[in-house]
Amino acid sequence: MIVQRRRTRSLGLASRYLILALGAVVLVTPFAFMVSVSLKGRTMLLEVPPRLFFKNPTLDNYVTAWTSNQFGQYFVNSLGVAVATTVLTLLLSSMMAYGFARFRFRGRGAMFTVLILGMSIPGMLLIVPQFLLAKDLQLLNSLPGLLPFYVGGSLAFNTFLLRAFFERIPRELDEAMEIDGAGPWRRYWNLALPLARPALATTAIFTFLGSWDEFAWALTVINDVEKRTLPIGIALFTAEHGTQWGLVFAASVIAVTPVILVYILFQRQIISGLTNGAIKS
Amino acid sequence: MTAAVTASPTIARADLVSTRSPGRRRGRAGLPGYVFVAPGFLAYGLVVLWPALQALVMSFQQYKLRKGLASPFIGWANYARAIQDPVVLRSFANSAFYVLVTVPPQLIIGLVLAILLDKAMPARTFFRVLFYLPVITSWVVVSLLFKWLFATDDGVFNWILTSIGLVSHNVDWLGQRWTAMLAVSLLGIWKGVGWSMLILLASLAGVSEDLHEAAAIDGAGTWRRFLYVTLPHIRGTVVTITILLVMGGLNVFPSILLMTGGGPADATQVPLTYIYKQAFTFLDFGYGAALSYLLAFFVVVISLLQYGAAKLVERRSE
Amino acid sequence: MKTWLKALAPAVGLVLSLSACGAAGTAMGTSASQAPSAAISGSVTFWHAYSADSPELSTLEKVLIPKFESLHPGVTVKSVPVPYDSLHQKLVTAAAGEQLPDLVRSDIIWVPELANLDVIEPLDTTLPDFADLKAKVFPGPLATNKWKDHYYGLPLDTNTRVLMYNADALKKLGVTQPPATFDELKALSAKTAGTGVFAYAEGGTGGWSVLPWIWSGGGSVTDDAVTTATGHINGADTVAVVQMLADMLKQKGISDIILGGQGGTKTSDGLPKGQFATILDGPWMFPIMKSQYPNFDLKTAPIPAGKAGSISVVGGEDIVLTKDSKNKAAAAEFLRFLLSEDSQMEMAKTGQMPVLSSITADKLNAIQPYYGTFVEQLKTAQPRTPSPAWPKIDEVISKQVLTAIKGEATPQAAMDAAATQINALIAQYK
Repeated sequence: MIVQRRRTRSLGLASRYLILALGAVVLVTPFAFMVSVSLKGRTMLLEVPPRLFFKNPTLDNYVTAWTSNQFGQYFVNSLGVAVATTVLTLLLSSMMAYGFARFRFRGRGAMFTVLILGMSIPGMLLIVPQFLLAKDLQLLNSLPGLLPFYVGGSLAFNTFLLRAFFERIPRELDEAMEIDGAGPWRRYWNLALPLARPALATTAIFTFLGSWDEFAWALTVINDVEKRTLPIGIALFTAEHGTQWGLVFAASVIAVTPVILVYILFQRQIISGLTNGAIKS
Repeated sequence: MTAAVTASPTIARADLVSTRSPGRRRGRAGLPGYVFVAPGFLAYGLVVLWPALQALVMSFQQYKLRKGLASPFIGWANYARAIQDPVVLRSFANSAFYVLVTVPPQLIIGLVLAILLDKAMPARTFFRVLFYLPVITSWVVVSLLFKWLFATDDGVFNWILTSIGLVSHNVDWLGQRWTAMLAVSLLGIWKGVGWSMLILLASLAGVSEDLHEAAAIDGAGTWRRFLYVTLPHIRGTVVTITILLVMGGLNVFPSILLMTGGGPADATQVPLTYIYKQAFTFLDFGYGAALSYLLAFFVVVISLLQYGAAKLVERRSE
Repeated sequence: MKTWLKALAPAVGLVLSLSACGAAGTAMGTSASQAPSAAISGSVTFWHAYSADSPELSTLEKVLIPKFESLHPGVTVKSVPVPYDSLHQKLVTAAAGEQLPDLVRSDIIWVPELANLDVIEPLDTTLPDFADLKAKVFPGPLATNKWKDHYYGLPLDTNTRVLMYNADALKKLGVTQPPATFDELKALSAKTAGTGVFAYAEGGTGGWSVLPWIWSGGGSVTDDAVTTATGHINGADTVAVVQMLADMLKQKGISDIILGGQGGTKTSDGLPKGQFATILDGPWMFPIMKSQYPNFDLKTAPIPAGKAGSISVVGGEDIVLTKDSKNKAAAAEFLRFLLSEDSQMEMAKTGQMPVLSSITADKLNAIQPYYGTFVEQLKTAQPRTPSPAWPKIDEVISKQVLTAIKGEATPQAAMDAAATQINALIAQYK
């Protein structure tokens, strides 16, 4: 019987890998094409149908993408903005989510509703009023000036997501800590945040990516060439006629790398048993 | 500097006092909640709600871009125009189609992947990264790629369909309304699966192993354990994801812009591409704002309906 | 302390901007007396959409700007490339916030719109030497700067569409020469059955696509003063052209990519591959073909002539001076510099066609042999309707021509509808 169970288990594992491998092929192919085009050298028109493998791959596009146009500077700018946005967003949205999940206060329902309503309004049309606001606050043409808008823009979504996780933490744990004399801040910092690590990691990944990829706002408010962010740097390789696609794709591959690193780093926090262990102790 | 140093212990002490005092419930009801919520909410109010309010005002104006030029108020005229504009109705129908086609697969495939990648196994991180790659690949790149895949004469998709004999001649995928919407939807599913997977992974991470073991000892099979242990735990997340996916689907934008441009002849417009065209091509910001608020209204109504339905199901199952 | 500073800030700003105006005023005065260089200083910001790693950008930043700065010590020019697809959006938002730079290289079709927003200077009253500048440039590109009674910009570079053909594909259709008239094109279209070659391919039905045919056929969008479309967009000549396109599409003489679907073979692929015998396109196709289809011999000819001759559409960019500019004197001087024969010749080497009539076809041919056809075609080329309503007019033309060639309405009915809609649009800007 034990043997049988083991056999079904290994069969299960094999089929799991089979499904995963199939899914991986479908999901990864387009990414592979991106890398493939980026290694092809100069191409203004895209080959149809595209070929995945070809002779004489070259890193020329990577060298050109990185050296022309202060691309390195844009990379550093984007990194700074994305890291700061992620830290600030995580702090503010987890505080908000905790406040909504754990406390009763006047206007709580109304505030939460307004938060969700704000999420439903497409941001596109806000760009002109936001631009006028940034002008009044003297936040135009400044990298730190991007932060309030990036953080503000991602708060609602993250709060919405985190609140759902905080509400699942048993209230008994809070109460036990409270009896031990822990104030609200300690309960938030020492209990809720560690228990919500998988959720926080998820929101960190999303927020970093959102800030890293943001294009429309940065393009609108940043004027000085040396203050630009990476998505603008990539878009600058496109032209009215005859875009150098090899360059665009090489620049995109470069741009994706830090996001993958951040993802690998944070997804370690998303592991079964982590939460259980914490609750037990 | 000195002020800050001395201030923090004071706050801590006040905090201790308030939670221990007999009026504990009142303390809980008042200050701490505000302290947690206020910083974020104020930031949000300033950079999102305030501009949103101005956009709302804009939607009742014939908005003039140049400062100093008065924007006359025209009442509900922008909204009345929207209701009579056939492209508006079509754009909403297109985004509804997109939601119906993309949301269920994103949820189901995302869930399957999350369950497969939840347990420890060799190469788990590797697979988690692979499945997340589409999410982080730029919209420009993937849209171009799907445009190739669905090209009429040299497209990979038509090549597959004709070689297995499913169609006799090449399908003009991007030249017709519904086939083009289907192509864009496939891109949406492909790009969105990893997103659902990640949130569901975070949710699954909280499922108690003890319960799983207990259920296994009781002889519950994989399917029953999923149904009675896993599902109740992640139900809240599933509802949240569904609402967010529907919201995102109604706001589909870059893929349409880059794959069809809303054409031919506005056949594949969705609300955001049409709003973008009105505002930034035609400079009709008042009309664009009215369309934005119409969209927001539908998003809110649909989200509330979903929320209500979820509550109903929850109550039934209890 | 901080509040005090804040209260003062607007006042300081006001003083600064007033003094800037004053300085600009005096500098402008001196420029009339032919000695502007001594008076100008400060920085000039110039937005454009030359793409990164392009020869245009490096010529601007490494040749022209250093040269200008050495001619005018004390002036720095800040070149700000903006991604082409996003320039319009950035301009619009900056205009709303009064944050436009000093100079903008604007697509020619945006100039009337920016003029109507009152964000750019009418150069004919701002520049004392406007008459001289006006006399130097080609009239077709110049006309794109006119809105109501003023010129709001000057052309910076120009281009137009000419007929491009694949000689091998033409041979398959049994001819050795590209079609020179509408009749020859119609005859070519009738021969396509069974050859796998389309006589002509076009990627849409908007103004840029169909106006060369409408104008060459004697049609028009509105009267010259842009007061009415009736009798023009629905006049007999325009309708006849739309009928011709519809007929050719029906007999499969032209590719169905004209219906605007994004999945079809692009003209830039179909021509070199021999699927399309002819297309209309601009000078940028030469570098693209050289890089992608090095074995293909791209050849050009004038647009086939209709009853009004061979008339193409003017493309290119204008340069405008904004009202937000704090340094108009220096900006105007840089504008003049970009319109000098030397600067225009430098940019011509990168594929930007000059706008000065003093640069003759011979001089251009010495740089690029293919410029000749374009220079010739530009002599008769016309601008698209110079009106802030153009983007919407364009949309109307695109939709109604599409309706007609798909056979969903007769060409006359479709163009009648277009006339009504266009009349309503131009009435908004009277």
